[in-house]
Amino acid sequence: MDFTLSKEQLLLQKMARDYAEKFIEPIARQIDEENKIPQEIIEGLGELELFGIPFPEEYGGADAGYDGYTLVMEQISKVSGGVAMTIAAHTLGLGAIRSFGTEEQKKKYLPAGCKGKEIASFAFTEPGTGSDPKQLSSIAVKEGDYFILNGTKRFISNANYPGPMVIFAKEMESGEVTAFILEKWTEGYSISEPWEKVGHRGGILVDVYMKDIKIPAENLLGKVGQGFPILLLGIALGKIGTSTAALGATLAAYEEGVKYAREKTHRDKPIAKFQAIQLKIADLAIKYETSRWLCYRLGCLANNIKDPAQFAREAALTKAYAGDVVVEAAHIAMDVHGSYGLMKDYKVERILRDALIGPQIEGVSDMQRMIIAGAALR
Amino acid sequence: MNIVVAMKQIPDLQQIRIRNREPVLDAVPLTLGNIDKNALEAAVAFKESHGGKVTVLSAGSEDLEDTIKEALAAGADEAFLVLDDELDGADSEAIAGILGAALNRIEDKDLIIFGEGSGDNYSGQVGPRVAEILGIPLVTYASSIEINDKTAKVVRSLEDCEEIIELTLPAAVSVLAGINEPRIPSVTQILKAGKKPKEILEMDDLGLALAEKQVITLSNLAPESERKQILLKSADELVKALSSQSLIGR
Repeated sequence: MDFTLSKEQLLLQKMARDYAEKFIEPIARQIDEENKIPQEIIEGLGELELFGIPFPEEYGGADAGYDGYTLVMEQISKVSGGVAMTIAAHTLGLGAIRSFGTEEQKKKYLPAGCKGKEIASFAFTEPGTGSDPKQLSSIAVKEGDYFILNGTKRFISNANYPGPMVIFAKEMESGEVTAFILEKWTEGYSISEPWEKVGHRGGILVDVYMKDIKIPAENLLGKVGQGFPILLLGIALGKIGTSTAALGATLAAYEEGVKYAREKTHRDKPIAKFQAIQLKIADLAIKYETSRWLCYRLGCLANNIKDPAQFAREAALTKAYAGDVVVEAAHIAMDVHGSYGLMKDYKVERILRDALIGPQIEGVSDMQRMIIAGAALR
Repeated sequence: MNIVVAMKQIPDLQQIRIRNREPVLDAVPLTLGNIDKNALEAAVAFKESHGGKVTVLSAGSEDLEDTIKEALAAGADEAFLVLDDELDGADSEAIAGILGAALNRIEDKDLIIFGEGSGDNYSGQVGPRVAEILGIPLVTYASSIEINDKTAKVVRSLEDCEEIIELTLPAAVSVLAGINEPRIPSVTQILKAGKKPKEILEMDDLGLALAEKQVITLSNLAPESERKQILLKSADELVKALSSQSLIGR
């Protein structure tokens, strides 16, 4: 067992940190305030191949594995949760096509996605269903060589960008949950205004309206009725993104806490000299390191999934931990800042808002615990 | 057009801590000098627009084999390394001798680019010494390089003037940090760096032995920052004081 990173992994980490600090950090507050990521950032991420990190080279990917993906996501998220979530949601959508798509589908959608020319989405949640596939109300009706899709999807990331969307609907003939690849902005596709959410701003969430959308039958993902396993593995892989987005914010909380403790003086000495502050810094370090190694481990496990159910348990465990810990870390960092932390002039205010997304997104923490307990008590 | 870029392995300066004015180098990761990265960028940009090959040349401890991947990721096509653990901390004369001997082994070198000074000691001596050893022309402090078929036109930026110098190739140039902005390599470039060709030599292969150091480092101390402890009573006074010293409003 060797917990050191290779030179290549260190360089990946450095590359993401350099890009994030140089190009995203100067406008991170603007992205948060405007709830919008400038197109040049999307293009910059694409040029560095950050939209195709874990995907095979033969489909245009960078082939750096999900472990490489965790290292990059951590650094991007440290600077902007919104940018990180855009990559995460995209990788989730593209990952489902990679795992379940036909050769033709992979060749059609992965190359443009990996280069960031198209941005993928993954659409399951509906206004009435939350995470329960049995209550799905979007429907797909087979008509000749097409499926006709109708319904509404809620809180969908990247739905504004052109590209493939892995979408779930009940196939009417079988009554089974089925996955399709929908090309966004096809006829009958429309979206709402972005939701004004508390954190991860810039990575916008919208509702998606489908009115008689014609999807060619060859865009069926997997088989009719295979939606549930696609959803389970897709979401489990997606938790690498949400966990590492939380990890990046945990690192940001840690670094901002340490920085402020060193800079802020009280009675002519830095507050870092006070034990009360030192205990908080130690807690930040513990929370960051534990979250970090769980996330890296999940990335390594994702490179070679032998048992999807076992992987889903590991993903739930990591997501539950990283998602909860980021909120605790952000609160501690804010405590170190005292009332200054409440002000927008200090980064910790945004870090806390980004952190609040962690326990809620892609299945709330309690739902992760149900998966973990289900595996433990089986 | 083949360009050789000389780069030095140094501790990552951003991760060095100072304790009792001395740098703490334990567990500090190694990297390549910052201005050396500008030298590499100049070479790679030229290769992209005009074709050719970029070879990165370096001498240092065994870790260099790993560290040099940074240069290979940033666009160098191959590496030529002289490895010896005794080379860390070697002085400019010794390194110049080694690089000179190594360059004699590299055929078809039209231009050799250096950073104006290394990231750690910044003596700025290695480039000029190597040019002398090879008997080729040298221009230091270059802020731009334009290469034609057999000549190079170099703008040399000095404190109060610029010189425009034309050189016959092969030649050596040392560049300023401001000459360009080194690129950030993509994921694939990083992952493929380790697979690029590397020629690795030891001192014996070059028929060299490390000479006794001509430069002995007595101490290596961080500068002491002395606070002036000027107390001002208002923002107006502060603005006046800073303006009077030309620190603002220039």
